Amino acid sequence: MRTIIILLTFFAINTIHAQNAYEKGMKKAFELWETKKPDEAINLFERIAKAEKENWLPYYYAAQVHIITTFGIKDAEEIESRLKKAQDFLNESKTFSKENAEILIMEAMLNTAYVAYNPSVYGPTLSGKVEELYRTAKTYEPENPRATLYHAEWKMGGAKFWGKDPKSFCPEVEKAILYFEKEPEKKVPFYPQWGKNQIKRIQQNCK
Amino acid sequence: MRSILTLIFLSVLFSTHAQTDITGTVTDPSGIPIQGANIYLEGTYDGASSDENGSFSFTSSETGQQNLVVSFLSFETYSLIQDVTSMTDLKIVLKEDVNSLDSVVLNAGTFSAGDNSKASVLTPLDIVTTAGADGDFIGALQTLPGTSNNEEDGRLFVRGGDANETNIYIDGLRVFQPFAATTNNLPTRGRFSSFLFKGTNFSTGGYSAEYGDALSSVLQLNTIDEPDQEKTELQFINVGLGGGNTQKWGKNSLSLNAFYLNLKPYQEIISQRVEWIKPYESLSGEAVYRHKFNNGLLKVYGGLSYSNFEFIQEDINVPEGVNFGLKNRNLYVNTSYKGTLGNDWSIASGISYANDYNNIDIINTDVNDRENSFHLKLKLRKRFSNRVKLNFGAEQFINTFSEDVEVSDVDTIKTNYDNNSTAVFTEANVFFSKKLAMQVGLRGVHNSLLDYTKVSPRVSLAYKTSSKSQISLAYGDFYQAPQQNVLKFNSTLDPEKSSHYILNYLYQNNGRTFRAEGYYKSYESLIKFDTEIPEFDSVFNNNGDGYATGIDIFWRDNKSIKNLEYWISYSYLNTERDYRNYPNRATPNFAAEHNLSLVTKYWIRDWKSLLSTTYNFGSGRPYNDPNESVFQNQKTRTFNSLNFSWAYLISQQKILYFSVSNVLGFDNVFNYQYANTPDVSGNFARRPIRPNADRFFIVGFFWTISDDKKDNQLDNL
Repeated sequence: MRTIIILLTFFAINTIHAQNAYEKGMKKAFELWETKKPDEAINLFERIAKAEKENWLPYYYAAQVHIITTFGIKDAEEIESRLKKAQDFLNESKTFSKENAEILIMEAMLNTAYVAYNPSVYGPTLSGKVEELYRTAKTYEPENPRATLYHAEWKMGGAKFWGKDPKSFCPEVEKAILYFEKEPEKKVPFYPQWGKNQIKRIQQNCK
Repeated sequence: MRSILTLIFLSVLFSTHAQTDITGTVTDPSGIPIQGANIYLEGTYDGASSDENGSFSFTSSETGQQNLVVSFLSFETYSLIQDVTSMTDLKIVLKEDVNSLDSVVLNAGTFSAGDNSKASVLTPLDIVTTAGADGDFIGALQTLPGTSNNEEDGRLFVRGGDANETNIYIDGLRVFQPFAATTNNLPTRGRFSSFLFKGTNFSTGGYSAEYGDALSSVLQLNTIDEPDQEKTELQFINVGLGGGNTQKWGKNSLSLNAFYLNLKPYQEIISQRVEWIKPYESLSGEAVYRHKFNNGLLKVYGGLSYSNFEFIQEDINVPEGVNFGLKNRNLYVNTSYKGTLGNDWSIASGISYANDYNNIDIINTDVNDRENSFHLKLKLRKRFSNRVKLNFGAEQFINTFSEDVEVSDVDTIKTNYDNNSTAVFTEANVFFSKKLAMQVGLRGVHNSLLDYTKVSPRVSLAYKTSSKSQISLAYGDFYQAPQQNVLKFNSTLDPEKSSHYILNYLYQNNGRTFRAEGYYKSYESLIKFDTEIPEFDSVFNNNGDGYATGIDIFWRDNKSIKNLEYWISYSYLNTERDYRNYPNRATPNFAAEHNLSLVTKYWIRDWKSLLSTTYNFGSGRPYNDPNESVFQNQKTRTFNSLNFSWAYLISQQKILYFSVSNVLGFDNVFNYQYANTPDVSGNFARRPIRPNADRFFIVGFFWTISDDKKDNQLDNL
């Protein structure tokens, strides 16, 4: 009996130990990203992903850092290779989590990054795909605030391109605000919760 | 007992917390430090990124044998398995990843569009927004160097080769009748709607061992794997009506489209040089079904088309003209499967089938021909490493043809043949480094009708001369069986043969591409006969030969002028051949010495309009004047044509389209037809062969209905 207790305690300690390592690692990776060390952050997310085996989150964040980083660079080759890598990470992510709205939203952002960097080549070929990704994400989670907010921004961009009023999508942004407020606290640590601080920027279109 | 257990647990706990230092440096093969490489022990959280000197250091509580992994963008991932205690002062040299974007590409002879390929010179959109192409993907390819403009024909004439020397493949499988049935001087179009394709690979020479039975060129078209979204498309054009629908469910998708074309109303308004009895009319439908499996993708394509027309063809020997009528029915089915088999093996397999029926009426002669063709193919690919890949496969072609020619009150002549051939091919792709790559292939073919077996080698090499430029070389032998018009009268001939030698230079820098290619092509065993056209009593032999040599130049610039994309193609061609009933080597009528194309696309944002222009120039084309003593020594006037198109985007889903070919109305002459017999003064009279109308106008309205109201058909135009 005592042996069993010792054994159980030991395993418990070990799992807590592992859990802590995961949380510590993820926290550290976010810190690196915040302190403008995106590549180190990506490396750490990738290391965690490889160690965790069946967790979609580290791959998801590794992809996100790559995608966000491309918005600040001009070199075509670097943008292409980062986005290619980001797609690889998202593909890995998808193998562990099916029908995941958050991954699709990230994939929509990835394709938006292609369009942003070379509109004449990727605009016509990827626009439909971006639309479809947001659409599918919303069927999985109709009240996902990120899907609602970024889909609205994407449509505003389209409206501006076509010389139409982007304001018609402002009610969507209002909806997104509501969904952010309603967004339930996720039990899974590090579950995506970002996006709230982008509302103001996107609302510029509504003035 | 208890203390022993405690001891064991303690020791386990203790050992997991012992720390080992892991240190070293990471460099590229030339010794330059790599910053930002990811170094870690596989399966653990322990790791670090390398600093600006390439150095790294971290501690780990792991013990014993561990796998140290080092990864970095555009380098191959490195792995080292040894005891952690010996992982100090490691000198790690990463190998360049030859699959990365800045690697050399094997591109001699090839133009690709789409597929995100680095050697792409065109985008998928270019294929369909080129003025003058009017939605025909072949039309856009005719603005690339290496092709000769033969506007009266519409097919591809590549580097001194005639149109039969180019074969077309969809998803790796042969298309047997890629062009709509027409006759002399009525330009044809591709049968397939261009929006089904995501990528195009046009090889003007030196192509892979996977393809055969074409002396000059292959065009590979790849259909889209997965449509983006469900939608309905409607097309209203001054010459026809069309519609399409795409559905997606689960792992399946289905696209259907149909088009009805009738030139009658158009030809009643715009005067034509020929007298139409029944203007061109066609009805076509296509369906594509796709299913995604866990490890592969199945695609089934089916197309059915029916066309018919009748007119009086001008003829110098027949004052009242020649009455010509044609009805064609064509069915094409293409089923392909692509997938992975595990262990770095992959498979591409499929079958295509075509059934073609023609009924032709010429004055009092009635011709009926039927052709059934199959292509079966299996290709396997083994990836030994990032740097070495091997393809091999086998294919079978089955072709049966029969024809009845009924001359009223005289006789019925029946001809038929079964032309089957089997081919095997293998090809290795080797990257020696990011800068040097090679492809070596071998193809063997056996034709059971003509009873020949031929083996042809194919080699290409590419070397990167700087970060923006590369040179490549290609060599290959190519065999092609005689065409239907000869095979129906003779089955003892040998195949025709050509050999290609190609040198290519490519420079790409931030939206600008310069490509120059020089080539020499020799022709052997070309088929000759002793009559004007092949006939049942013609005497055939393989004694013809010839050559083609030239330079192709391509320049594309998307960056210098805002909202303007343009490309310029120039081809110089020097070719002579002795074939058909030529008395000696001469330059054929389809081969102009100089060809030039300038294509521009200008996007005017305020007008929401895409304006495209295409200017084509061709130097005079050779023709034979029987009044002269030298064969084929005359040249027509130069060819000029300026095409213009305007796509106006009314809204996100509605496009108004207008196009006109030969805006300036150049009076072009392609060739001359001479009388069979001289007139009283001993001269052979002639008539020029000119376009049926100087200009062609298209006005269209395209409407896409999809849930998101964003998609449009700009990519269908």
